[in-house]
Amino acid sequence: MFLTFALFTLAGALAMLKARNLVVAGLCMVLTFFGVSGLYLLLGNPVAAALQIIVYSGAIVVLLLFVVMLLNSHEEEAPLKARPVQRWLSATVAAVLGAGACALVASSTLVRSLPTLPLEGPMTLQKVGHVLFREHLVAFEAAGLLLLAAMIGAIMIVKKEV
Amino acid sequence: MNPTPSFWASVLHGGLQGYLLVGLLLFVIGLAVVLLRRSLLMQFMGVELMLNAANVVLLAFARWRGGDVQGTVSYLFIIAVAACEAAVGLALVVALHRHRQTTDADRADALQN
Repeated sequence: MFLTFALFTLAGALAMLKARNLVVAGLCMVLTFFGVSGLYLLLGNPVAAALQIIVYSGAIVVLLLFVVMLLNSHEEEAPLKARPVQRWLSATVAAVLGAGACALVASSTLVRSLPTLPLEGPMTLQKVGHVLFREHLVAFEAAGLLLLAAMIGAIMIVKKEV
Repeated sequence: MNPTPSFWASVLHGGLQGYLLVGLLLFVIGLAVVLLRRSLLMQFMGVELMLNAANVVLLAFARWRGGDVQGTVSYLFIIAVAACEAAVGLALVVALHRHRQTTDADRADALQN
């Protein structure tokens, strides 16, 4: 099961990297997000899996596809100039970073020696709510204010000049 | 630097190292999207992928601590900030398109020079 969801996630991300059409890329991103939410289910965290589907696949991707269709920019515009050095450099940096990080994880004795504590049942909204409202109440209110500020800011940015 | 057989077993059967590898590869693919694609909307999608990679690693470590609730609470705050970032970022792209009729990062270089 883990391998299936991991392959879904990475295949969606790779297809997104290669997609020429922006709508196709957005749909590949939905595939990635479903794969990630499957991984959260396997981690015994159905709360995070549901939030992932609602917020990412439901809200952010829909907003993104809406903007793509609104601006009618389904394809990338033709490049102003070819930048071979930058392209090769960035591809190399990404590849080296990925290979190095994977090698570090593979060879790390610290990660291997981490104790596996037994899972105390799946995550429930009740547990999350207790911790959220007892220990992080101020941060919760601040997040609400931040969302309100972002909403007003987004409207102000796109509003036509008055 | 030579992975042991137990490492591959851990990756195949969904051990901690498997989740770390998925998170790292997801981050690197997101980074490649940001660096290689020119459309601002594609770069935005790459940023979302990198945020997701961080979330995968966070929740994997939370599970290996015995299902730590603090990990899920942090995840909640992270996606709240990600939603704000999505709203403001897409608004900026729409505003840029209104002023300059482009979503290409190379063509939006008014601050350069």
